[in-house]
Amino acid sequence: MIERLVHWSRVKSPWVLHLNTGACNACDIEILAALMPRFDLERFGIQLKGTPRHADVIICTGPVTRQNRDRVVRIYEQVPDPKFVVAVGACAMSGCVYRGAYNSMGGIDQVLPVNAYIPGCPIRPDALIDGVVKLLNSLK
Amino acid sequence: MNAENILEKINGEIKDKILEAAVMNAPRRIQVKVQREQLNPVLAYLKEKLGFTHLGTISGNDLGDNFEVVYHMSSSAATVNVRLLTPRSDPRIPSVCAVIPGAILYERELQDMFGLQVENIPDPRPLLLADDWPAGEYPLRKDWKFNRPAEIIPGGE
Repeated sequence: MIERLVHWSRVKSPWVLHLNTGACNACDIEILAALMPRFDLERFGIQLKGTPRHADVIICTGPVTRQNRDRVVRIYEQVPDPKFVVAVGACAMSGCVYRGAYNSMGGIDQVLPVNAYIPGCPIRPDALIDGVVKLLNSLK
Repeated sequence: MNAENILEKINGEIKDKILEAAVMNAPRRIQVKVQREQLNPVLAYLKEKLGFTHLGTISGNDLGDNFEVVYHMSSSAATVNVRLLTPRSDPRIPSVCAVIPGAILYERELQDMFGLQVENIPDPRPLLLADDWPAGEYPLRKDWKFNRPAEIIPGGE
């Protein structure tokens, strides 16, 4: 019973952490646009949280820079289980133009296990909503 | 005051401190070559007497046996490129922070990227490269090779 309640609340109201691992800020602006009243991610119960300890889903933007690698892993470890990672934008998926550069590790999947990829440069807020809803549906 | 006047002044007043000064092909651009010991006096002269108060950037150049360091000084009238050669076996340059305090960021970047040793720099910490960057690796040197780590493919092939 309690488990069902926990599962229901997780699917109906996931809390997200917005994590920039070295992005150019374009994806970040689109994520904020998706959270604002016009696109309104909150109608799916999605709330932005300021700390990884409250979050269920990490929304990552940008390639992982070498300086950021250990910090990203540390933030991932602070998120309570079960946790999900969404890679947002072309850089987060593969590293894009920064792939193979000496100061970049490539995409998020080089450092963290990723549950959903959302393509775009930058992503549209619609794409972000679509990706997050698909992730939530896969949990049901 | 145009580029020719400035060149005349430089040649007249600090002739003994420079190796060579010339107007370059581009308009309003002067090239001055200096020795390591004379860099600070020349920059101080340009700043105090001729009004070249803006240091645009310091660029490094890997010429093989030598490194060339170029100080881009600008005023409203012209731009002076102060060039300094330093041998690869002994890559020392003097700090210009006594004349231009803001140059410290450029000098720390030169230390990171080219491995030049800036003498008398007030704060020699690394600036741009990651904290765990191995010592003795300088990415902008021409003979530097990057060993790219193998990529992880999630879920296999």
